[in-house]
Amino acid sequence: MGTIIQTYQLTKKFKEQEVIKPLDFSVKKGEICALIGKNGAGKSTLFKILSGQIMPTAGEFQLFGKSGKEMDQAKKRMGFIIEAPVFFPDFTAIQNLEYFRLQRGVVEKKRIYEVLEIVGLENQKRKRFRDYSMGMKQRLGIALCLLSNPDCLVLDEPINGLDAEGIMEIRHLLKKLNQEKQITIFISSHILTELEQLATRYVFIKNGVIVDDLSKESLEAKSKKQILLSVSDPAKSSQILERTFADIQFKVLPNQVITIQNHVESSGEINRLLVDQGVVVKEFRIEALNLEEYFLGLVEEISHD
Amino acid sequence: MINYLKSESYRLLRKKGPYLTSMISLLLIAAASALLYFFGQSDPNFPYATSKFFYSNVISGGVLIILVGSLYNLALTGQDMSLIKQSISFGISRSVIFWSKLLLTLSYFLLICVVGILFVIVLGENLLLSDDQSVRNLLIACVNMVPIVLSGFFLTHTLKMLKVGDIYLIFTLLFMYGFSGTLLRYLLRPIAGLDALYHYAPSTLLSDNLMDFVNDSVHFGSEYWITGTVISGIALLIGAKWFAKQNID
Repeated sequence: MGTIIQTYQLTKKFKEQEVIKPLDFSVKKGEICALIGKNGAGKSTLFKILSGQIMPTAGEFQLFGKSGKEMDQAKKRMGFIIEAPVFFPDFTAIQNLEYFRLQRGVVEKKRIYEVLEIVGLENQKRKRFRDYSMGMKQRLGIALCLLSNPDCLVLDEPINGLDAEGIMEIRHLLKKLNQEKQITIFISSHILTELEQLATRYVFIKNGVIVDDLSKESLEAKSKKQILLSVSDPAKSSQILERTFADIQFKVLPNQVITIQNHVESSGEINRLLVDQGVVVKEFRIEALNLEEYFLGLVEEISHD
Repeated sequence: MINYLKSESYRLLRKKGPYLTSMISLLLIAAASALLYFFGQSDPNFPYATSKFFYSNVISGGVLIILVGSLYNLALTGQDMSLIKQSISFGISRSVIFWSKLLLTLSYFLLICVVGILFVIVLGENLLLSDDQSVRNLLIACVNMVPIVLSGFFLTHTLKMLKVGDIYLIFTLLFMYGFSGTLLRYLLRPIAGLDALYHYAPSTLLSDNLMDFVNDSVHFGSEYWITGTVISGIALLIGAKWFAKQNID
């Protein structure tokens, strides 16, 4: 699998504050990689460095294996939305895209109409940008990214300000672009439930350091949180569990519910054990952390360290 | 660079500001000549209904011309600058952005200057009392003004590209082209060897050019080009160098 983005000891300091600490990181071809972190974690700074808006203090990075002067050509294969997309307020969607079409040397004018259709703005193309809603502005930003048929999209908060329907449409669009056109996507968002449904890889950043980097499968495996049992006799169940697993961690909750925080992998054995000892198990399920809970757990864990 | 020039040209031709500025400038020229003509017709002793007086108003308007020039530059370096982050992320170099915006706005400004001067001459020669020397003297004085006005335009471009606020820009231009000579004269008076430096200050040169025009002694001067080239060179060098390293947010 080819590498689209690669950083080597990339560092960014603003005055004395190190916003990005020496960072070695890569995005592979075909991935939808989500960058997750709190405000000020360094997400936007990393995106801005990749786009060329700001210069790194140290280290370097490559796009499509190119660095230095050659990177300007590599950037033509990428589409960036960093924070909110900006357009001429007095221009219509068509005029704005025509400006960038000329700038990017896109030969065919009909490409403007194609990208407007892809993002669902084909009926709003004559409206001035200043009259657009937040969602429409974001869509036009994505249309601009697609104008030159990119191989990689770098999107910082692309669903900001969209309503539920808009968010779903953008998610479907990005999935479609990734699956049908093999466009690699590097994305950040505060809406973690969306990233959970969209991304194939999750990278967690805190204070400019990548604190965790895992695939969708690894996240699912790691985020198994606890076993939840609803039993006929919690006291007897507790005795059985303590007798069988010396280090077991569990809580007895109201309504005859027990939650077990470890030995999740032994769930089948626990179920059989209780049933064999005459405990009626009314409900048995494994609760998993969602991305948001995993993220919050990770952040808290690191804060305590 | 060609593609970037094409896109910026597309933008510039669709902005209302430069058209409005051009219209107002030409209207003011027409209004001034009409006013002189009207007073000249209504009062035979009115001494200012001459092309020489009319042209002297153009020669004395160096600072105003520089300020008008900054409006043309602002057409591409004002609020539109917020879009350059998208150009940069597409791999367009800061250098291309800096020089393209300068080239386009300067071309537009120079075109309007040429049209304006022709318009002034046509009105002056047809509506007002003219002598043999006035057009020749006007053109010589205008040539002397060119490097000074251009240096003001380049300085404006650099300051705008480096995100300097409009108020600071206006103060800088007013100081450089309005009061720099007076200040240098007082500051450097006690320093032997530097006490004559104020002669090369842009405000002194603009003022000298006007006086020479009024006294019918205007001539081509190298000092205008020396000062204009030094200011332009420093402004563009600093602008291009600093803009290449500037963070774009």
